Amino acid sequence: MGHLEDSLDQCIKCNVCMTACPVAAVSPHFPGPKVVGPQAQRFRHADQPVPDASVDYCSGCRVCNEVCPAGVRIAELNARARAQLVAAQGQSLRNRIIARAGLVGRLSSGPHAPLLNMGLGLRPLRWVMEQVIQIHRDAPLPPASRHTFGHWFRQRGQRRGLRQVVYYHGCSTQYYEPWVGQAAVAVLEHNGFEVIVPDQDCCGLPLLSNGDFRSAERQHRYNVAQLIPYVRQGIPVVGTSTSCILTLKEEAPELLDLTSQEVADVAAHTYDIFEFLRTLAERNELKTDFRAISRTLPYHPPCQLRAHRIGLPALDVLSLIPGLRLVESQAACCGIAGTYGLKREKYALAMAVGAPLFQFVRESGSDLALCDSETCRWQISHATGVTTKHPIEILAAAYGL
Amino acid sequence: MQYDSIVIGAGISGMLAAIGRAEAGEQVLVLAKGHAATHWATGCIDLLDVGDGDPLAGVAALIAAQADHPYAIAGYAAIEPSLNRLREICDQGGYPLVGSPQRNLLLPTAAGALRPTCLVPVTMVAGDARQLPRTGSGEAPLLVVGFRELRDFFPPMIAANLQIQGFNAEGIYLTLPPLEGAADFTSTGFARLFEQPAFRAEVGTHLRRLVRDGGHQRIAMPAILGIQHAAQVVAELQAIAGAQIFEIPTPPPSVAGMRIYHILEQRLRTAGGRIQLGAYVQRGEAHGTRLEAVYSEAAAREQRHRANRFVLATGGIGGGGMRAIDANHLIETALRLPLRAPASRADWFFPDFLAQPGHPIFRSGVAVDTQLRPLDAKNQVVYTNVAVVGAAIAGCDHIREGAYEGVAVATGWVAGAR
Repeated sequence: MGHLEDSLDQCIKCNVCMTACPVAAVSPHFPGPKVVGPQAQRFRHADQPVPDASVDYCSGCRVCNEVCPAGVRIAELNARARAQLVAAQGQSLRNRIIARAGLVGRLSSGPHAPLLNMGLGLRPLRWVMEQVIQIHRDAPLPPASRHTFGHWFRQRGQRRGLRQVVYYHGCSTQYYEPWVGQAAVAVLEHNGFEVIVPDQDCCGLPLLSNGDFRSAERQHRYNVAQLIPYVRQGIPVVGTSTSCILTLKEEAPELLDLTSQEVADVAAHTYDIFEFLRTLAERNELKTDFRAISRTLPYHPPCQLRAHRIGLPALDVLSLIPGLRLVESQAACCGIAGTYGLKREKYALAMAVGAPLFQFVRESGSDLALCDSETCRWQISHATGVTTKHPIEILAAAYGL
Repeated sequence: MQYDSIVIGAGISGMLAAIGRAEAGEQVLVLAKGHAATHWATGCIDLLDVGDGDPLAGVAALIAAQADHPYAIAGYAAIEPSLNRLREICDQGGYPLVGSPQRNLLLPTAAGALRPTCLVPVTMVAGDARQLPRTGSGEAPLLVVGFRELRDFFPPMIAANLQIQGFNAEGIYLTLPPLEGAADFTSTGFARLFEQPAFRAEVGTHLRRLVRDGGHQRIAMPAILGIQHAAQVVAELQAIAGAQIFEIPTPPPSVAGMRIYHILEQRLRTAGGRIQLGAYVQRGEAHGTRLEAVYSEAAAREQRHRANRFVLATGGIGGGGMRAIDANHLIETALRLPLRAPASRADWFFPDFLAQPGHPIFRSGVAVDTQLRPLDAKNQVVYTNVAVVGAAIAGCDHIREGAYEGVAVATGWVAGAR
């Protein structure tokens, strides 16, 4: 057993995680991180029946890890326990579908996307979906894009720059929000980078958080194979989807016990885009030809960004824009946690988890909010009606791009 | 990002230092591995265990007797202003601390023992032993109330132990109002329930019946009476019940301690300070005797944090600021500062587990100069731009001396004022 399991011996049962867990705070179905994590772990064994199915109510937000004074990797222990549950009990059709973000995106985007989007807006259809595949009728499903990000990038072509950087777009930018990737490319090129977009698969996070480790491993190995040639040349990999980037950096290698040099090298050279831009800024290599944006905007650092343990790089970089003021949300989580809040039995719970954040966004009075994670943006917009953008879009606007 | 000050540790000492500097106009970042000291401790401010005597006089005597005690380093003149500073912050947070540095209070614990402490939240002060009904006084008994669903809080045991000490007390469990789908209860879960007006009205009505039947003038409850609005919750419960109510701190996690953390956190954020949790500082980077940066553990690689000045507020052995790496060696976990500790493991502990002077290991820590700067074995300053505060400082057995929060407040305040 690896260091994840070792970390549970560090647990002193202080219950600090129990005070911070946003799911346990609103749900009687989830007894809390210590109970399903370090405590239940003592009773889990590969050859034994799974002792406690309530671990499936862990959303994987990792707030428990964030507050743990002993460094226990509670959320990862829970993810592994869920995989054991799935291995023992099988996977539902619903989870098989929503965990395949790449496949769903590929089937959704294209010329038929407007029709599909219209269909997903029809209440009767959503009701049928809820009955048949257990996706909650009100859950925020993003409209698919007619054209993928990849299509846009191929059309315009790779542009020469002084230094090279690889852009990992992930499924959301590819199939739903190509403008996020366009903003990222514009910002990187404005700063003198030649942006490379290699072929890539889903990062595997939806599979990991739905307990299908075997499929996730296939995707991660594919991505590592695609990225390693660039990494070997010293070309960094950056991404706008902070949860995909966390998966490449840590979650996939750690949960899947992948210890090869290639996996470690890709992890070590992969950056959240604002983490990357902040490093540039610290070296005085970031252009600062910003136009003023005289606005005050609510900003939610998503739990998946906080799990990088790199502070708030978007806040650091955007603070360089004259006139712009971001007000940091102190909410633990928006509730959606990737695919968690889409599920029929978890939707209401996810909305309850996000309630403090939604209140913060509404009370800001702003018609625009910022958040680094796509599913969180969709959840915030769904709950509040406030347009929610990736911070890179504001940065691009400040550059006049 | 270059900060003016980085504080490592988010207990009371670190937060007070951070608030002091942020309110002086500095850009401040607090890096903390997680929540700890505040969430484990009682939420009371212990200055010095002198029974129900004068702790401030005790501190003066201690300073005269032990020049390297953290109180001596902070200086006698710092004690009262630092306590007043914390009181002012808690007052503004709507959670007043009451008491006097010239006279300790004696409050019942969750075991029914009496514990000396100096400043307590307004929600606990009615528990001072001087006000509790004595056996044979003719006064109605103190009513200790709890819930069976709350673990580690046993009203009959508390009452029985108070009776042994000459108090008139009885303990009962309240029946919880019917709750939808509640499966498990923690102190925090209860505190959230008490934030709901309907829940506390129901509990209050139940208490009023008990007061009417038993004539009780004073009720003790576990410290779970609300998180954000505890003072109002207790006031409201008192009004409904028609008796004085006071809270008894629970074993960890301590809601009363969490309240103080939240107030300090809000105060720091209001002053523009930032807090990064999950940031385990593991090493520093120095140029000569100047600390340039610290590195915290992060996904895939460390994060580097630069600042002009640093405050080390990581706590002692209990808080994780120090740990044993093998059978004989203690290390300071964040910056690997030299420690004042017994040379060999044989000297860490006395053979007697409950040895009166306290085990020497618990007096270990970083030796500091009058400016709280860390010293090496030859008393040379290790880093000129680092201040060490709270339980990380050597020369004090914080818990045994009953000085845990007092030292944190005094040294944190001093570091914040510089």
